[in-house]
Amino acid sequence: MDIRPALQIQTVIKTLTDVVLPAVDPSNKLAIEQARLAIGTLNIVLQRQALMYRYDRDELARALALADNLQEQAKDLPAAAHALHALANSAEVGADVLDRAKTDPAELEATNVDLRDKLGALITALYTGQDTTKLKHITHSITAHAKEQILRERIWLLGQGWEPDPKSLPPLETLI
Amino acid sequence: MPRLDKNHPTHEWIAQLRERFPCEKEIDRVLTRKLQRRAGPPYSPLALTTLIEGTQALIRSELKGDFEIIDANWLSGGASKLQMVFKLKWNQPGVGPTITPMVLRMEPSESVVETSRLCEFQIIKALEGHIPVPPTYWADEEGKYLPYPAMIYGFAEGVTKPTASSSNVTGVGTMIPPELRPVLGGQFIKHLGIVHSFDWRNAGLSSFDEPALGKQAVEWQLNHWERVWEEDANEDVPVMRLAMAWMRNNMPPVDHISVIHGDFRTGNFLYTEHNNEISAWLDWELTHLGDRHEDLAWTTKTVFGHKAEDGETFLVGGLAPLDEFIAEYEKASGLTVNRKTLQYYDIFNSFKSITICLATGSRAARNGKTHQDVLVAWLAGISYGLLDELRTQLEEVL
Repeated sequence: MDIRPALQIQTVIKTLTDVVLPAVDPSNKLAIEQARLAIGTLNIVLQRQALMYRYDRDELARALALADNLQEQAKDLPAAAHALHALANSAEVGADVLDRAKTDPAELEATNVDLRDKLGALITALYTGQDTTKLKHITHSITAHAKEQILRERIWLLGQGWEPDPKSLPPLETLI
Repeated sequence: MPRLDKNHPTHEWIAQLRERFPCEKEIDRVLTRKLQRRAGPPYSPLALTTLIEGTQALIRSELKGDFEIIDANWLSGGASKLQMVFKLKWNQPGVGPTITPMVLRMEPSESVVETSRLCEFQIIKALEGHIPVPPTYWADEEGKYLPYPAMIYGFAEGVTKPTASSSNVTGVGTMIPPELRPVLGGQFIKHLGIVHSFDWRNAGLSSFDEPALGKQAVEWQLNHWERVWEEDANEDVPVMRLAMAWMRNNMPPVDHISVIHGDFRTGNFLYTEHNNEISAWLDWELTHLGDRHEDLAWTTKTVFGHKAEDGETFLVGGLAPLDEFIAEYEKASGLTVNRKTLQYYDIFNSFKSITICLATGSRAARNGKTHQDVLVAWLAGISYGLLDELRTQLEEVL
């Protein structure tokens, strides 16, 4: 998926800054202030969205460390027994989640891109100068993959209005 | 091995691409220039006064006598070029003192489609008097007077779609009402026939390369657009590689070299609503010499038309059913249509439009190179529907 939120936000900031804001009526102070705040907010979102996953993971790791620490210190306090039990359950879930949350989204994205490069190179090597009718089984694998992948990409951008029959497409949440 | 950094092209990489994908000299020039400038700064907003001053300088270099630019303003429309509308108060040769509405059409730093202003200028001038096109005035081929290469032509009155209708960006999805279809459709087909049968050999098209009959024309086009894919694509797409391989192995020969508009469709002509006459054909930047089936397959693409009221009959450009369109075209042009070649170019056009929208569009927007990155990035979204169409097209032939 090439049309990612980071690109979209970047282009919105640019158009608001270069085209829309200069065209706002200078006497409409409310509109000017809110246009500037919208640009500022989007700049923060753009700057931070790539770190959001890492931020959440870091927050969870330190909360778990605090939970460990407090559980140890409060273990002999009868008044805290109920809360300690609840915390222990959540900390156990949290530790499991942290253990599974290992790969950074940027690494995932880069790996996808790399794999696409290598798949493309292999397809070119397989088909160059060949009679494509003799490669039907390989062709089927490529088009079957394309059908599923492109379906997800089309649905991702459904809101842009390109689809002639949007109601025929399943919700994205049921596919990924 | 580190991934190739296409945002900072090396001399070696550029040279490799040029050698690997030989194409028309003017196309090679503009694509090479694009890569050489890529690592430079993004597009920064230009003041209208900058364009007015540049336009004045260009006109002054071409014209003796006083003139004045009045009522200058930005003009929207299209996804690739900056446009300024203005009026020129001047002593027009052969006419005398007059005020002429004109349009300045200038490239941004890097465009969703990199093309030659010289080619565009020459082909519009060559077709004046043959089909409705804006009158051409002056070109700044290298950006000597303006910040980027530009041309000036006449402002044509008209609309791209009925005033009351809606569409997505660049006129895609325009609904043509039933009463307009015969009158606009007839003109549309007639004009396409004239373009394809136009005698271009003595028409002043010095910037165009002439392909030989046979497979050279299609080979140049494959080289052109595969090169653009290599230059611009961020993520590779397996089904695009499959398309490239199939197209190389199945190139159809051409029996007549025609002028190919390259984007001949509803949304790229203006018509005047008071008499429903096409007043101008626009966007000649993709024009080249080649196989008429390329234009025909583009014009008849699903995305540029819609269904009739019966919910079943597809109308080419929203104007006429496909069989009727083809039959009328053959009459108008005196040229035949080969359905198998049409199918080939349908696949080629899917590949080309995905390359423009997805590869070039997303890279130009990501690098902040255009005056309307938000539109270019939005337009890239159409690529996934086109990719699915390409997949089904390939399944039919493979």
